[in-house]
Amino acid sequence: MNAEVIIVGGGIIGCAAAYHLAKEGVQVLVLEGSENIGNGGSTRNGGGVRQSGRDPRELPLAMYAIQHLWKNLSEMLDTDVEYYQHGNLRLGSTEKHRDILTGLTERGVKCGLDVRMIDGDEARQINPFLSEEVTCASWCPTDGHENPLMATMGYYKMARRLGAHFISGEQVTEIRKIKGAARQVVTASGNVYEGEKIIVAAGYESRFIASTVGIDIPMQPVLLETLVTEAVSPMFWQMLGTADADFYGHQTTHGSFVFGLNSGYEPYAKPGKPLSSSIASSAACRGIMHYFPSLSEIKIVRSWAGWMDSCADHVPVISTVEEVPGLILACGFTGHGFGISPAVGLLLSQLAMEQEPVLDLQAFRYDRFA
Amino acid sequence: MKEADDCGVEVVLNAVVIGLFPEKEITVKIEDHVEHVKGDTILIATGASENMVTFPGWTLPGVIGAGAAQTMMNLHGILPGKRVLMLGSGNVGLVVSFQLMQAGCEVVALADAAPRVGGYGVHAAKVARLGVPFYLSHTIVSAEGKDCVTGVTIAEVDSSWQVVKGTEKHFDVDTICLAVGLSPMAKLCDMAGCQMEDNPAKAGFVPVVDEYGETSVPGIYAAGDVSGIEEASSAMIEGRIAGIAAAARLGFVTQEEAKRDCQKQEEALSGLRQGMFAPGMRGKKITETEEGVAISQNLLEHGFVASEEIERFPGVTHQKGIHPVIECTQNIPCNPCQDACKRHCIKIGSKITSLPVLDTEAECTGCGMCVASCSGQAIFLVNEDCGDGTAEITMPYEFLPLPAAGDRGMALGRNGEEVCDAVVLGVRSAKAFDHTHLLTIKVAKEYAMKARFFRKGAVQ
Amino acid sequence: MNDRNRDIGEYIPAPDDDVIVCRCEEITKGEIRRAVHDGMFTLTEIRRYLRTGMGLCQGQTCTKLVKGIVARELNVRPAELREATGRAPMRPIEMNILAKDRGEQG
Repeated sequence: MNAEVIIVGGGIIGCAAAYHLAKEGVQVLVLEGSENIGNGGSTRNGGGVRQSGRDPRELPLAMYAIQHLWKNLSEMLDTDVEYYQHGNLRLGSTEKHRDILTGLTERGVKCGLDVRMIDGDEARQINPFLSEEVTCASWCPTDGHENPLMATMGYYKMARRLGAHFISGEQVTEIRKIKGAARQVVTASGNVYEGEKIIVAAGYESRFIASTVGIDIPMQPVLLETLVTEAVSPMFWQMLGTADADFYGHQTTHGSFVFGLNSGYEPYAKPGKPLSSSIASSAACRGIMHYFPSLSEIKIVRSWAGWMDSCADHVPVISTVEEVPGLILACGFTGHGFGISPAVGLLLSQLAMEQEPVLDLQAFRYDRFA
Repeated sequence: MKEADDCGVEVVLNAVVIGLFPEKEITVKIEDHVEHVKGDTILIATGASENMVTFPGWTLPGVIGAGAAQTMMNLHGILPGKRVLMLGSGNVGLVVSFQLMQAGCEVVALADAAPRVGGYGVHAAKVARLGVPFYLSHTIVSAEGKDCVTGVTIAEVDSSWQVVKGTEKHFDVDTICLAVGLSPMAKLCDMAGCQMEDNPAKAGFVPVVDEYGETSVPGIYAAGDVSGIEEASSAMIEGRIAGIAAAARLGFVTQEEAKRDCQKQEEALSGLRQGMFAPGMRGKKITETEEGVAISQNLLEHGFVASEEIERFPGVTHQKGIHPVIECTQNIPCNPCQDACKRHCIKIGSKITSLPVLDTEAECTGCGMCVASCSGQAIFLVNEDCGDGTAEITMPYEFLPLPAAGDRGMALGRNGEEVCDAVVLGVRSAKAFDHTHLLTIKVAKEYAMKARFFRKGAVQ
Repeated sequence: MNDRNRDIGEYIPAPDDDVIVCRCEEITKGEIRRAVHDGMFTLTEIRRYLRTGMGLCQGQTCTKLVKGIVARELNVRPAELREATGRAPMRPIEMNILAKDRGEQG
C-alpha cells in the first residue's frame, strides 16, 4: 500500500498531523502499533492546555495552539473536546514552593505570557474550594484544559472522514531508504508500505524506529499515572497544578475529576506493559485532600498508567532529518505534548508538504544533542 | 466457612480488594482504610455477575436481575414485587421463580428466547406444577410504565431471533426479573497480567488456567465462575484443587500428595461435568438419555413431563403398596436420593448422572427421606390403590402456611391445572427433612399418577 | 491488523437506537452504532469516545451488551473484541479511605 505521507503512530500527534494533511488533500496512511488509536500518552494524561510553567522553547507552540487552534477545535473536529479556558492555578504552601513558582512565573513573563504570582487569599477567591494550606500560587488566566480522550478520538475521527487511512495493530519495525531517502516502512507482520514522506510520532518507540536509519534521540520511558473520580456537581473549571508537581488535574464536563499523579518513582517503573503502582493513587489522594479537603469523600473510580517519552533536555524533537531525506521526527514530548499537539500536528503537516512552518522549529532539531 | 475457620484460616469479611499489583501485592479496603497484602500464592475466586438484556423500558424501576431478586428475598426479607415475569429458563430463572412463589409473589409467566428450557427439567417441573406458564421462543418486546414497571409485552421469536408480528402477549406485572446468564468477573485477573481469553464455552472473558487452576502468572490461581461459568458444586471442587495445588507450590504438601488429592477431586469434577448439561453440551439438542430413553419434549417446550411420557422413565414403576415414583428424566449430576434410602430402593450407580432406577425387590417403608432429599422435588411416594378406590400421594411441600390434616382442596397436575378433589391426610416435618415438609393427600385412585401438587381451597 | 477504512456499510438508523445501553453514563445503542461508523472499532475506543462502562458500575452491566452491538456492526464474533483492561480500584473507593494506606487506622 502506498501513500504520499506515512505516519507512524496513531496518538494525538499522528492523528492531528493526519487531519491537517488530509484536509489539504494529501494522501495519508497512519500505522498504529497497538490495537487502539491513542493508546499511549494521548489518552493517559491530565488534559492540561497550559502555557505557564513551560520551557521557554516550547512556550510559542503552546501560545499558538491556544490563540489559534484550541478554541475552534470542537467545531473543527465535530467532537466536543470539552475545552475550558478558565486559567491555571499552580499551588504552593511553603517558602520553597514560593521560590519554585516565582522562578516559573518570571520565566513566563519574560516570554510575554500573562502569568503572575498571587497569595493564598486571592487563590481562594478564584477557587473557593482551596484549603487554608495554600499560601501562594501562580495564576495564568489564559490556560485551560480539555478532554484528552475526546481530542484524540476527534482528530482520528475527522482525519478518517477526510480520507486519511488508518491501520491499527501494525507495528513498524524498520524504515528503509531507497536511493538515499526514507521511503518504506516495514511492519512486524511483514508488510511493507511506501510513502514519499515518513513522519515518526510513536512516542518512546520512535527511538527504535529512527535508529533503523541511523538516528538516535536520547529519550527514556517514564511512567505516567492518572486517576479519575465519580461525577459530582460542577465545582470549578480551572486547571490545577502544584509547585511539587505531585498532582495536577481538573473537573471535566461530565463532572468527574481527572488527576495526574507523581509519586517520584515513575522513572524507575518496570519496562513492559505500563502498570499502576500500588502506592501512587494513595499518595496523590493525600496530596489532593491537603489542598482540596472538600474532595475527601468523593470516590475514585479508576486509575491507569502509560508511558511518556522523556527527552534528555525535556523538550520534544520536531524536525526533518538532513541525513535521511523524507523522514520527519516528532517525539520526546516528555509528558507535556498534549497541550501543544494541535500546533504540532499543523507544523508536521507543513513540514511534510515542504511548506514554511508557521513557527520556528530550530529549538526542536534532532541534532541539538551533539 | 466453618471448615476454613477450623483450619486456622483468617477470614476477613467486608474486605474489598482494590487492585492486584505486581509482586502479588493486593490492596484491600477494610473498614475505613486500605491495607497492602502480599501473598506467595493468590487464589482469585471473584465469581460472576448477571447479564442483562435491553428492550424498551429495561431501565425502568422494576426490571431486576434474578440475583437481585434473590438478595432482596433471602438477605433483606423484602418482596421484589407482587406480579413477576421471569425471563430466562436456565437453572437460575427456574429456581428463582420457585423462590419468588415461595416468598408469595405471583410469577405470571416464564419466558425464554430459546426454543427449549435451558435448566434442569426437575426445576422446570416444580415451577410448572405451580401453574406458571412457560413461553419458550419468546422474548420481551417492551416493558411498560412511566415511573416504574406496570406491564410487559412478550412475543414469539423466529429461528433468527426476530419477533413474529401478531404474537404479542401482554401481562400486568410490577416486576420483570432477568435471568439471562452470568459473566465471569475476571477483571482482577486481567489487572494481574494473567493471560486472558474470550471463551464462549466459559461464558466470557476469563483467565487461561491449567488443570490446577493456575493462571499464566505463576502462583496466581483462579477457581469457580471467574474462570468459567458452571454449577456451584463444580466451583467448590475447583477451589479445593487450586488450594491443594497452592499448598504443594508452597511446600506444605509434597507433589505426590498433591497429585493424589487433586486426582480425587478431578474425578469428582469430571463426574459433575458429565450428562446433558455438561459444559461441552451447551446449545446441543438432545433427543435421548444415556440409557436410551426418549427425552420428554413436553418438558423442554412447556416445563413439565406429559402424562403419556412419564411412564417410560426407570424411576416410574407401578407397585402394590407405597413406593417412590421418581420423575427424574434427564442425566444430571445428582444422587442424594440413592443414599437417602436406607432400604436401597433407589439405584443410580457410580455414574452420578445416571437416571435413578427403582429396585422393585427392595421394600419401601414410606419413610419419605428420598422425597425430602431431592432438591428437584421429583420424588413422590404413591400408594396407587388403598383398596377403597383412593390413592395416597406424598409430595414435597415448601410453602407456608402448611395445610393441616383434613384440609380439602384441589390436586394439581404436572402443568398446575386442577385434576381432582383432594384431602390432606397429614404433613410430616422432621429435622432430617431439612426444611422440606412432606404433604400426604388422598385422591381418587385414577388420579394417582396425575396429581402432583395440592392447593387448599374450595371443593367443587 | 485492523484496517479502519474497511467497508462496514453505512450507518442505518434502527427503531431501537434510542434504547439506553450503558445506564451509568446514559449512552444509547444508536450512539454506540454511530461511533463504530466513525471509526471506533475497539471496545477501548468506544469507551474513550463515549464513556460506556466508565461509570460507577465499571461496565459490569453493559460490557457484554456493548460488545454485542459493536460486533454486529463490524460483522465479527463478539469474542474477537477484547474487553477493556481491568484497572484499580476494582470497586469505587473514597479518597479519604484510599489515602489511608500506611498502617494508620480509625
